[in-house]
Amino acid sequence: MPFLPVSIFKRVALESVSERDVVRVLKSSATSSQTPSRVVLDRITRDRQMRTLAVLMSALMGSTRRPFVVLDAAGAQGADMELSARVAGLRGYLMMASETHYALEARDGRLELNVDKLEDLLSRLQARQLPLCLIGYTYMLYQYVVVPLARTGRRLQLPAGSMVLHFGGWKRLERQAVDRVRLDAEVEKVFDMDQPCVRDVYGFTEQLGIIYPDDGHGVRLAPVYSEVIVRDPVTLEPLPDGAPGLLEFITPLPHSYPGIALLLDDIGRIVSRDREHGGRYGTRFEVLGRARGTEIRGCGDTLPEQIYQVREMARAEA
Amino acid sequence: MKIFVLFDGRGRHIEPDGDPESCPLETSPDRLVNELKAGQERLRSTPVDDLIGLCDAAGRAWTQPGDEVGRMMGGLAIGFLPLWLRRGSLEPLVAQALRGEAGAIDGFVPQMPGAHRQHRAQPRGVLVHWLAGNVPLLGMISVIQGLLTKNANLVKVSRQNAGVLPCFLAALAHVRYRRPDGSEVAGTLLTDAVRAIYTDREDSAGTALSALADVRVAWGGREAVESIMNLPRRFGTEDIVFGPKTSFVVVGAEKMAGQAEARKTAALVARDAVALGQRGCNSPHTIFVERGGALTPEAFAGLLGEELGRAARQVPPDVAPQEAFQILTRRAEYDMRGQAWYSDGVRWSVFYSDEDRGLATPCYGRTLFVRPVDDVFEVAALCSINTQTAGLALDERRLKLAEALTARGVERCPEIGQMSLYEAPWDGMYPMDRMVRWVSA
Repeated sequence: MPFLPVSIFKRVALESVSERDVVRVLKSSATSSQTPSRVVLDRITRDRQMRTLAVLMSALMGSTRRPFVVLDAAGAQGADMELSARVAGLRGYLMMASETHYALEARDGRLELNVDKLEDLLSRLQARQLPLCLIGYTYMLYQYVVVPLARTGRRLQLPAGSMVLHFGGWKRLERQAVDRVRLDAEVEKVFDMDQPCVRDVYGFTEQLGIIYPDDGHGVRLAPVYSEVIVRDPVTLEPLPDGAPGLLEFITPLPHSYPGIALLLDDIGRIVSRDREHGGRYGTRFEVLGRARGTEIRGCGDTLPEQIYQVREMARAEA
Repeated sequence: MKIFVLFDGRGRHIEPDGDPESCPLETSPDRLVNELKAGQERLRSTPVDDLIGLCDAAGRAWTQPGDEVGRMMGGLAIGFLPLWLRRGSLEPLVAQALRGEAGAIDGFVPQMPGAHRQHRAQPRGVLVHWLAGNVPLLGMISVIQGLLTKNANLVKVSRQNAGVLPCFLAALAHVRYRRPDGSEVAGTLLTDAVRAIYTDREDSAGTALSALADVRVAWGGREAVESIMNLPRRFGTEDIVFGPKTSFVVVGAEKMAGQAEARKTAALVARDAVALGQRGCNSPHTIFVERGGALTPEAFAGLLGEELGRAARQVPPDVAPQEAFQILTRRAEYDMRGQAWYSDGVRWSVFYSDEDRGLATPCYGRTLFVRPVDDVFEVAALCSINTQTAGLALDERRLKLAEALTARGVERCPEIGQMSLYEAPWDGMYPMDRMVRWVSA
């Protein structure tokens, strides 16, 4: 199956359906190239994405909804494009939320953690014995939550079975010499969890709906909705398992644009293809970084609503 | 302060693909320079003819069939370096830079034939070279010129390909030159005046090295070169910058008169693109082809694809993953909106669209963008100080176009097929002239 390099969506408008069938145009973050990807969704694609995401989220955290504590500020929508986009980016995940709380407060244009308020919230949830999900962008988790909490020397207890989900790439944290191991250690210092569960989620706008949370150690599973191939950067041939190369993802989800087989500029390697420890079957892989040592694909561009500019096509929705 | 010494008077301390931070550590730049100055004194007392003789001997040795060093140079797409080191190349280069008299670096010579007044070129002292990682061996060009002008040379290599230059310095140390009188000179005469080092960009050593330099020689991209130039320096320190520039080719309609001539032109352009792995500032990326010949620019692009494929077979590809990804993106784009000719894998690519204008953003990895022009003189408007070499495939109009292009910032207008050759002037200067002080008596 021929693949397209994912950055073609930054250079050419690609549509597989007529304009009247387009219900939404997604523009991803433009982390490195300054140019956003443009992806058109029709109703079929959008529905497939939402259904797939729901299944994958259930597989990750169980079918029972749980309280979500968002590592961002509430009520910022509309006031600040970047902030509202960040908050919008979480919306897809929030379909798994039984209730939603926001951990940060915007004060004088700056985000701040109200430690007392967060502690109070966690105590109330603890009393109800509800496992929760702390969720947010990787750099915000570190910058606005972990660092301030560590500064106060306080350690907040999370209800049993709670989970920390973060996404968006490591570029900003790499500048501060914060890697995965250090982030996990710092998170465990400031949050008391009975069984530490910190997951880094990988994904990209051009195959929205599919997320690749890691297992806590950087290994990710390609679900039944997708497959991963690692290609030699020079010959473009598939590489043997274990060898690092360019990552290609294949999924049948896209109907409105040619995104079924996409080659990314992220470097990764296949770890195994077995069912491990009684877990699920599938190809397990690691993302080692952006080609040529730049950042891992980022900005949390993993969900249908995680878009910096969303243009609703009123005609199609009508 | 951490300075890792990769090559010194004892030889090299790193393998070609080794880790520079595993090399011996030096914490005092002054100590390094003091050792170097002893080597420089021996250089100063040696006639430049002997120094050229040593370089010539190295060039000869490295062009012998089966020579390992020459093979490595070919693999690094800098196969012209041994030829550049030959006497026939270096003697005129030194003479041009030294006001027509190479002996001026050995002692006082008349300013003009028969003149009473005499002048000479004195070495400036300590040259600190910051090399780029993309074409590591190209730094040999400034190091050799630093040696021919009898300076001490402290060479800071890039982490990427850190072991390459020390490897060639070690090979140079083993060279022997037999003078006409039968006595021998060893290559260590040259290499004792060179130290190859590595320091982290964040380390304070960079500032210390800049402060020590009498001449700062910087190779690399804009960010790297600017950060070096922004380091504090002593009053009177000279700067030689080989910074980021892009190059192109102009093909006149007269070279499109027939299939055979067009193919010959395409073969020469392909040679220029493959040399230096297309990573040099003198490597072409955009090929402007004038309309009005028997062959269209589009037909020429097809021929260029064939010739580039042929030339690329002779040198293994050196494509970084990010470059491969960019190339694949362009292939997909031109398959949709123009024409693309390319290999299996990412060995080479040629792109064409009737709509394209201006200079293409370099994609590297032997990727050429063919763009049509109605008149070759249109290209002058695209030139600036950021354009370095224009390879010209023209007949009578060649000098006239060179005049127009160089007036707008282009530095060199060689014939196609010769774009990759290092010659003087370069980047608007005679570099060796900048490595000496002119004094009179």
